[in-house]
Amino acid sequence: MSIKVENLCHVYRKGLPEESKALDEVSFDVSDNQILGVIGHTGSGKSTLLQHLNGLLKADSGEISIDGMRLYAPEVSMLDIRKKVGLVFQYPEYQLFEETVAKDIAFGPKNLGLTEEEIDSRVREAMSLVNLDYDTFSEKSPFDLSGGQKRRVAIAGVLAMKPKILILDEPTAGLDPKTHKDILNMVVDIHRKEKNITVFVSHNMNDIANISDNIIVMDKGKCVLQGKPEEVFSHSDFIKSIGLDLPDVTQLMKDLGIEREDGKAIFSLDEAENMIFNMIGGSK
Amino acid sequence: MEKIVRIENLIFKYANNNDEKRVLDDISITIDKGSFTAIIGKNGSGKSTIAKNINALLLPTEGNVFVYEYNTKADEHIWDIRQCAGMVFQNPDNQIVSSVVEDDVAFGPENLGIEPQEIRRRVDYALKEVDMENFRKRPPHMLSGGQKQRVAIAGVVAMKPDCIIFDEPTAMLDPRGRKEVMKIIKELHREGITVILITHFMEEAAQADRIIIMDDGKIEMDGSPVEIFEKSNRLKELNLDVPLAVELRDRLLRKGLNISKDIIDKESMVDYLCQLK
Repeated sequence: MSIKVENLCHVYRKGLPEESKALDEVSFDVSDNQILGVIGHTGSGKSTLLQHLNGLLKADSGEISIDGMRLYAPEVSMLDIRKKVGLVFQYPEYQLFEETVAKDIAFGPKNLGLTEEEIDSRVREAMSLVNLDYDTFSEKSPFDLSGGQKRRVAIAGVLAMKPKILILDEPTAGLDPKTHKDILNMVVDIHRKEKNITVFVSHNMNDIANISDNIIVMDKGKCVLQGKPEEVFSHSDFIKSIGLDLPDVTQLMKDLGIEREDGKAIFSLDEAENMIFNMIGGSK
Repeated sequence: MEKIVRIENLIFKYANNNDEKRVLDDISITIDKGSFTAIIGKNGSGKSTIAKNINALLLPTEGNVFVYEYNTKADEHIWDIRQCAGMVFQNPDNQIVSSVVEDDVAFGPENLGIEPQEIRRRVDYALKEVDMENFRKRPPHMLSGGQKQRVAIAGVVAMKPDCIIFDEPTAMLDPRGRKEVMKIIKELHREGITVILITHFMEEAAQADRIIIMDDGKIEMDGSPVEIFEKSNRLKELNLDVPLAVELRDRLLRKGLNISKDIIDKESMVDYLCQLK
């Protein structure tokens, strides 16, 4: 499984005075079994990019290949793409609509024309992936659940489609710190169990640094930087110049003027603690 | 110090029957005029319910809530209470009623029946306070989340309240929007407005003079940020975040470093460590 994006361009309101380039020659690859973090200031084109990956938006020029399948080839249908690529929008709990949790999760698989048994087994599997007990929750109304639980149901609805690529647009936005951690851990767990490609957008640089294998940085519709987290966040002045923050630990170490010999960014508090202790101890 | 809010043995249940859970379980607090209080707690801890009890959106099941001398149960004073204690909510899109920024800000004062010239003055003043005067003719739906939230705050400022209750005003904003809104909140406080900030974010709460921590309908901790962060283990037990500087301070203390308990933010931590270098 892989994603290959080449020279992707998308123009909003083409031909009108307010024409704007939402995506401008964006290229990147994601290889098998990776978590790709996408960062960028609000309006940088992150969400537009995600919507291209499952065919909700079509590029004005450029190519996307998912597992060798060219999205814009005439013989490729939207259904083929959406079976492979699941997209979880921001605040996905607003999209819940069914009477019961089980029915809501079953909505996607039902539209694939699967048998009752297959649908039921997918619902159970998806609920177990998002840590919702089937017997406790399947017959409840999704509207009686807490915010974190609703979000789990919404994510389960996408997982029930068995996507090989799972895309999440700010999956932890607006949650309290405990629920935030739970959902983030869940995303990593699902990634490990399903061996999928996970693409996730977040404004939280700590999360991005901690769970991504690779990061792409968007600014004004362009992909301006890509690489491993410790490389991307070592360009601290550049990251700040496009309106983004550094992870908290990275920022602290920068303020203290402590650097790693290889120049790579520091995220782990354990590592930071030892380096700080050495700095102080060394001077005594 | 004059008390602007007095909460006495407040018990609150959403349905008025005996087996229903107490969302607020015998809460008593007073808020000093001109203070900046943060109320923090996880979802369902009762923090928003307190806020709604202060400006009479909800009324106590038992106990009393006073804003100045007005009991929130006294129907005839409900407008006095809401004018004293304005409220800003989480979702900016749910708080904007008009299609032009300055009309939206004028909505509150218009409903108070204020003279047009005075409304004009108040709207100009309020938009200046939130740094949005250049956007006054714009349609709100074209603004960013942080800008919309600032318009919502201007709408409350135009009512000239003594106290503003912010109910998770930054929860739906991006980091830049969050910083913009926190800056405005701190400025309003500096100018004498009593601020009550309900938040999930410990880094925001750390900027207040007083932090109240709610858990399961009860007040779990109440004190200055320094006092609260002294008990960082308790915060973790309550599933709350601890600021990075406090976490690092505790780790260095465990390593035998003699580091002051007053260090609770990144700036003072950096200053302190750089002296030792």
